[in-house]
Amino acid sequence: MNCEAARRAIGADPALSTAELEAHLQSCAACSQFREEMRALDAQIRRALERPPDIAPRQVRRERQPWQRWAMAASAVLASFAVLGVWLLRPSDTLAREVVAHVQKEPESWFATQHVSAKEIAHALGGAGVALDLTSEHIMYAQSCWFRGHYVPHLVVQTATGPATVLILRHEHVTARRSFHEAGMSGVIVPAEQGSIAVLARGNEDLGQLAGEMQQDVHWLPER
Amino acid sequence: MRNSPPESPVFSIGERPPAADAGAPLTSLFESMRPDLLRFAQWLARDRSIAEDIVQEALLRAWRSREALKDPSAARPWLLTIVRREHARLYERKRLELVPLDELVELQADPRSAEPDDDVYALRHAIMRLPIEYREPLVLQVLGGFTTEEIARELDLSATAVLTRLFRARNKLRVICGLPAAAEVSAVPQP
Repeated sequence: MNCEAARRAIGADPALSTAELEAHLQSCAACSQFREEMRALDAQIRRALERPPDIAPRQVRRERQPWQRWAMAASAVLASFAVLGVWLLRPSDTLAREVVAHVQKEPESWFATQHVSAKEIAHALGGAGVALDLTSEHIMYAQSCWFRGHYVPHLVVQTATGPATVLILRHEHVTARRSFHEAGMSGVIVPAEQGSIAVLARGNEDLGQLAGEMQQDVHWLPER
Repeated sequence: MRNSPPESPVFSIGERPPAADAGAPLTSLFESMRPDLLRFAQWLARDRSIAEDIVQEALLRAWRSREALKDPSAARPWLLTIVRREHARLYERKRLELVPLDELVELQADPRSAEPDDDVYALRHAIMRLPIEYREPLVLQVLGGFTTEEIARELDLSATAVLTRLFRARNKLRVICGLPAAAEVSAVPQP
């Protein structure tokens, strides 16, 4: 057993104790410490789950007076114009920022080291109604993520220069390719047959080729 | 199916069989587990009223198929499995109606109700925000006491896929707790 296998086993079940694992831990102080950390974390998780989650009851909506409804409608119209104005001014900037923010929320995606099963890839793609030519040995991470009101496939593919994140955005339309750099990541959003595709990498990577390949590899199925 | 009518068999599960009924001990057993089932359902559903409906429906199903429970000492995992399946059914039905967590639930912000231990408080928040594919196996393992093989069978996944999800779930929680992600921990290669 090597360190990677030991850590995956411990991470999945910190209470696990097998002869093979114990033999590895005898000779590996770092993994031994890792198990101590994970067991301490698991004790905390147990404590956290002891009580039901603190969920506030949904607020009951009270009936409003007619003038209140008109005031709210007027406010909503004004707010809509304001949001629309901002949206129209810099749409792709906003989209790019949200793409970066989403990827930042899943930092472990960059460190995935095992290929994802075809079933998991199908699950990630299925919610968005897309199919992919890419074979599963290139995909290290595949999730169906909630993004701007829709489930979108969030993939990490292994390239010659390292991992790259791909978000397939069926409902986000852009008119032209847009590159961006933010939070230590470089990225590009390209228009696609339906919607757009965002490709990101850590550092200063040229993602033009990968984005072009993804435009070819993604197939858009009829929306359910 | 929310707010089951009063005539629902589950609503009256504790009083329906007469005292001499052989099912009475079983109904008491089911009822005694209701708080445990509700906690489990709440961690899955993240919504108190939906969780109550899930448990209600699960107890109804359990009562209908009580003949399948051969060993009353195995009632807990049996009931938890029914709750999980009921949640999955509801989740499938409501999948397209899901709204972002921020709109659905609020953690109580009142400092008097906060955990004395900040780490546990942060963890509870973090577990709630785990995607269902990570939260479900974690809750099944830690709260339900299910083995990897049992979780795999229940979720119709391979054991490897379950281990990966459990690893990723804990890895996310490690980061929340200020520990480096597992892949970043310096590993000492074995000779």
